[in-house]
Amino acid sequence: MSIEAGPGESQASPPPAGAVAGGRAAPPGEARHDGAVALATVNLTISFGPRPVLTAVNARIERGAVTALIGPTGSGKTTLLRTFNRMNDKVSGYRHAGDVLLDGRSIWHPGVELMALRRKVGMLFQRPNPFPMSIIDNVLAGVRAHRLASRSAMSAIARDRLAEVGLWDAVRDRLKDSPFRLSGGQQQLLCLARALAVGPEVLLLDEPTSSLDPVATESIEALIRRLTPALTVVIVTHNLAQASRVADRIIFLNDGRLVEHGRTRQVFENPAQQETARYVSGRFG
Amino acid sequence: MSGALPAGDARMPGPPGAARRGEAAWPAVPLRRKAVNAAFWAACFACLALVAIPTVWMAGGVIARAVPNFRWSVLTTRTDQLSGGLENAILGTLAITAGVVLVAGTVSVLTGMYLAEFAAGRRRALLRGGYEVLAGIPSVVLGYVGLVALAVGLGWKFSLLSAVLVVSVLAVPYITKSTETALAQVPTSYREGAEALGIPPSWALRKIVLRSALPGIITGILVAVAISAGETAPLLYTAGWSDANPSLALIHEPVGYLTYPVWAFAPINQPVRSANILSYDAALILLAFVLLLIVAGRVIVWLSRRNAA
Repeated sequence: MSIEAGPGESQASPPPAGAVAGGRAAPPGEARHDGAVALATVNLTISFGPRPVLTAVNARIERGAVTALIGPTGSGKTTLLRTFNRMNDKVSGYRHAGDVLLDGRSIWHPGVELMALRRKVGMLFQRPNPFPMSIIDNVLAGVRAHRLASRSAMSAIARDRLAEVGLWDAVRDRLKDSPFRLSGGQQQLLCLARALAVGPEVLLLDEPTSSLDPVATESIEALIRRLTPALTVVIVTHNLAQASRVADRIIFLNDGRLVEHGRTRQVFENPAQQETARYVSGRFG
Repeated sequence: MSGALPAGDARMPGPPGAARRGEAAWPAVPLRRKAVNAAFWAACFACLALVAIPTVWMAGGVIARAVPNFRWSVLTTRTDQLSGGLENAILGTLAITAGVVLVAGTVSVLTGMYLAEFAAGRRRALLRGGYEVLAGIPSVVLGYVGLVALAVGLGWKFSLLSAVLVVSVLAVPYITKSTETALAQVPTSYREGAEALGIPPSWALRKIVLRSALPGIITGILVAVAISAGETAPLLYTAGWSDANPSLALIHEPVGYLTYPVWAFAPINQPVRSANILSYDAALILLAFVLLLIVAGRVIVWLSRRNAA
C-alpha cells in the first residue's frame, strides 16, 4: 500500500509475475489470489438520490490485465468506473454502501489522501479534454502540480510520455502550440500521455474511443494492450467488438447488478447467464 | 406550414399552372411568411439604429465641438479657475480608476471565485443577493453615504481614498458578476480532467480554471473601469474638485477628475467660453479613454485565447 509514496515506484514496477500468470490461468471469475487483484468491490451499492444505480456489486479487477465493463445504457458501468477514483464523491445525492479495495485497502479509508489516490488511479474520458495550455504544458500538468520532477527533468518526461503514446513525432515541432489544433485522436493520446506522466498504477478509460475515428481507435486500442501488464486497465465500452479485442476479462452489468464476470472468451462464447448471452449476441441493449 | 394551406389560398401565390406544366418548382414562399420576415428584419434594424444613432450622434457632437478648439497643451497644463488645461483632472481620473481596479478588482474577483467555486446553499444566495441589491443602488446615494460616512464621519474630507472606496462599491457588482459568470462557463471537462489527475483544487483553479476564465474577468474589470471613469455624482460628494494635480495623500486633499468639467463647465452651468472648451475637451478625452479600454480588453482577450479551445 503506497498511496502516500513518492513518484517513480508505481508505473515502472511490474506486478509480481507469478500473480499475473496465476490470475490469467485461474478458472473464469476465480482470480481470488489477493496478489492478483488490484481493485475489488465488496457489496458496493451506490445511489444518487433514492434509487440505487449499483446494487451489491462484488467485482474483482485483476492486476496487469485489461478489464472491460460492458452493459446496456444505464447499467451503471460508468458509475462503477468513476467510483474507482472517487470521481462521484461530490455529485449531489451520492451515497455509497459497501467498499472498494485498492490493493486490499479501502479507498474511503480516512488515511487515504484523495489526490494521491487519483494519481494512482488515473482516468481518461469519453471526449478528449486537454487543458487550455500548450501541448507540453498539458503533458506536464500533473507532474508540475504534484512536484514529481525537477525542472530540468521535465522535458525528458514530456518526450518519453509523448513517445510512449506514439505522439512524439507528430508534435515534436509544436510543443508550444495549442492542443486544440490536434485531431481528436491526437488529443485523446495527449490526454493519455498526461495521465501516464504522473505514474498511475490503474488506468480507468470511460469509452475512450467513442468520439474517435477507426484509425485513431485502433492506435488507442493497441496502446491499451501495450500498457498492460505494467498497468491495470479498466475500460467502459459500448462496443462489444472493442471489448473482445482489448479485454482479458469482462464484467457484464445490467440494471445496476453484476451479472457475469469472467474471461473475455468465456463471456462471449460460453456465457454462464442467459442475460449475458442475450446481450452479447445483440438481442438487447 | 404551407402544406396545411388549402390549394389556391390567397396567401399562397405562385405561378398558376406551374405544376400543371410539369415544371419541378419549389412551392412559392407564402406572402405572409415574406411579410413576417420583412417585419422582423425591419425591427432588428430599428433596434440597431436605436443604439447606433445616439452613440454616433453623441460622439460626433463631442468631437465636432471639441476638435476645432483642441490644444495639446490641455493635456499638460492644470485647470486655472475656468480656463487652463485638464492635466489635474486626467491624473485624478487615472488615480481614482487605478485605485478602483486595485480595491474593487481584488474584492470582486475573490468574491466571484468564492461564489462560483466554493459557496453553496444559503451563503451563496445571501452573498449573491447582496451584490445584486448593491448594483441597484443609485450612485448618487452611494456618493452621499460616502460623504456622510467617510468625508465627514471619519474626517477624511474630500479625498482620493473616499472617492476610490465609494466608486469601488459601485464597481464591485459588475466585476463580481462577470467573474462568477466567467468561472461558471469554464468547461466541466477541464475540472474533471484536473480532478482525475489528482491535481489539487488550488492548483487547478490557478493554472487551469482562472486562466480560461481570464478574458471574462478582465472584460468585467474594464467595464467597471469605464463606468467608474464616467461617474460624476459620487465623486462630487467624495473627491470634491481640485485645480492641483493629485498628490500621494490619500485623505484630506480633494482630487480633480474629468467628469467634473464636463458637467460644471458646460454652457448650461458656465457661460464662459474658455470653460466650455474645457468641458468639450474633457468629454473627448473620456471618450478616447473608454475607447482605449475597449480596445485593450479585446487585445487581452485575443492574447489569452491563443491556447483555448
